[in-house]
Amino acid sequence: MANCTKRDDGGSGRDTGCGRKADVRRCGRRCFAAARKARARVARWRRDRSSLDQLVSRAIGSRHRELATKRLSLISSSTDSEDYRDALSVRGSMSSICICKRTLFLIQFFFYGSTLTVLFFNVLGHSRLKELDMSRCSKITDAGIKQLLSIKSLRKLEVFQTGQQDNDVAKVSHIKKMGLLDKGLIRRSDSALNSLYVLTKLEYLDIWGSEISNIGATALEKFPMLNYLNIAWTKVTRLPNLPITSLNISKCGIHSIVYRDDKSIAPLSKLVATGATFFDADEVFSCLQPGCLKFLDISRSNVNSFNFAVNLQGLEHLDLSYCQLTDGLMEQVATIGENLSYLDLSNTKITSHSLSILTGCVQNLENLSLSHSLVDDASLAYISMMPCLRVVDLSCTRIRGFVYSNRENSEKMLSLSELQNLTHLVSLNLEDTKVIDEALQPLSLLTELEYLYLKSDFLTDISLHALSSLQKLRFFGFRGCVITDYGLLSYRTPPLLSVFDLRGSWLLSADAISSFRRKHEQIEVRHEHVNSLFVDENVSYGLPAPLTTTKATLSRLGTEKSSKRPSFTSSFADERIKYSAEELLELKSSPGSRCTREDLDLVPGMLRNQ
Amino acid sequence: MKDTVKLISAEGFEFVIDKKAAMVANTIRNMLTSPGGFSEAQHGEVTFPEISTPILEKICQYFYWSLQFASGKETEFHIDPEITLELMLAANYLDA
Repeated sequence: MANCTKRDDGGSGRDTGCGRKADVRRCGRRCFAAARKARARVARWRRDRSSLDQLVSRAIGSRHRELATKRLSLISSSTDSEDYRDALSVRGSMSSICICKRTLFLIQFFFYGSTLTVLFFNVLGHSRLKELDMSRCSKITDAGIKQLLSIKSLRKLEVFQTGQQDNDVAKVSHIKKMGLLDKGLIRRSDSALNSLYVLTKLEYLDIWGSEISNIGATALEKFPMLNYLNIAWTKVTRLPNLPITSLNISKCGIHSIVYRDDKSIAPLSKLVATGATFFDADEVFSCLQPGCLKFLDISRSNVNSFNFAVNLQGLEHLDLSYCQLTDGLMEQVATIGENLSYLDLSNTKITSHSLSILTGCVQNLENLSLSHSLVDDASLAYISMMPCLRVVDLSCTRIRGFVYSNRENSEKMLSLSELQNLTHLVSLNLEDTKVIDEALQPLSLLTELEYLYLKSDFLTDISLHALSSLQKLRFFGFRGCVITDYGLLSYRTPPLLSVFDLRGSWLLSADAISSFRRKHEQIEVRHEHVNSLFVDENVSYGLPAPLTTTKATLSRLGTEKSSKRPSFTSSFADERIKYSAEELLELKSSPGSRCTREDLDLVPGMLRNQ
Repeated sequence: MKDTVKLISAEGFEFVIDKKAAMVANTIRNMLTSPGGFSEAQHGEVTFPEISTPILEKICQYFYWSLQFASGKETEFHIDPEITLELMLAANYLDA
């Protein structure tokens, strides 16, 4: 003991005397060093963890976990297959884990996957299971998979991020008729891919986040039926000639996509390359068959020249957000023109000048996002010349709502009145712009508007009442504004209004809010004084459905709720690559939700960026 | 006075280690040496509801490694990259 004390003293003496050495010894510093040495592994670990674990632990309460386990035991105890089907459908309606579709069972162990073990598949063995999605069941291991593979009827298998090991791929290959294989985020290497070649009917292959490199990619040619390929976040830089129509190469570095001009194979129509690094974008796109690409997402990529735009004449959906896009490049982009119906230019450096170039070329544009760009009031005149526009997002721009008619003169012209020409406009987002009450007056003439998002410190009761002429409004965001209790209570609500978002309106008292809610029970009021049950309820019942709702809400409403669910949006990062907006919407099946697919189509900005 | 202490992880696993090793962490040292008859000091037991078993195990390994290192035996202390973040959080809490 004496010995020990002495050494301790020695230690602390060194701490003060020779700080450097003690520093080296510290555990935290060791961790740093270890993390720095194996950067790639840490990055992968973070990627594995980030979206999923956080999501699971936050999104499912202990109550739901209990429920899930109870249901599981119910299924295990029922031996008769009919009962089993019933049990499944009950599960479906209760917590939307399992969705029964005709005789197929599409099973989604989306969230509580981590509580699943191998045992479960004893029951599954004798079913007519055709589709199985057990993404994220991290407890499922080789043994579980082995049982699973005894199901001969299986056509679709999604085993994205399970505990399955690499060497197990060979076993999967028993099922020769499998059409869909989703194996994202398993540590999969080129050699492992080789064992999959028996799956000649494979149409859908999802191997994102795996270790595949160019060698593996060339071998992809051996899947003759393949039409969907997701190789996001892999080391592939050159893609061979493949018959695919939908390709996801997000986060990859891309040298080339070989394309052989062959009439017999369907051309690539959808390309998602979020955050991809193109070594020479012109070369990559020049290989594609001109006019066939319908959907192109190159947001956050390094594309900085659009010479290839001539090749993309048929394009309908173009996402250029977070690109290095400037006014100078706009002329090239404008040549895509005609068929474009969705254009996302948010978070770029374009100004109103870009819109003057664009305006005559995009006659069919329906959805335009300019959020976080440098456009100002001058752009509104050009926007008004795009006749088909339905959704316009001008949030976080330099819009002020008025222009001076000439330089010397200080006579103000209300610029928002230009929008009256847009007869189809249903959604308008002016959040975080500098509009004032006076400037908003013209909006009261946009009677077709169903979704209006406003957020500004300058807006008061005057605007609220002026906008009561918008009788078709279904979502009204009036955030961070200076409205009074009296103003709120005397507001004549539009008949269809279902969500009234008043968050950040600090002047309102709790009493006023609650009496407004009593008066209009059909309206969901969002404010700090209202306990936002809509989030919590969803969480307790579960699954994908609330997720999409929450997501929509979050994207619509920005950074709010940060105290309740910190970093929730950031944890979605991986999800966006994994699922398209449509897929996410399909996961959603809660009947009570007011957000229909159409509604979400109109949600500007982030949601559509995926 | 006992010269071992028991460290208990979030899952309830108990690690019995030399007191001098545990004293490497300033937080534990304070817990065990503070006057006032705290239960930690009396029973020689510290519970860490925030630290999972594998991390606490690594922490214990670290304590011994640190003693060795301090006495001049400069070996490498291997840390799996996968646990760096959690270990760092724990180390920060333990002031080790």
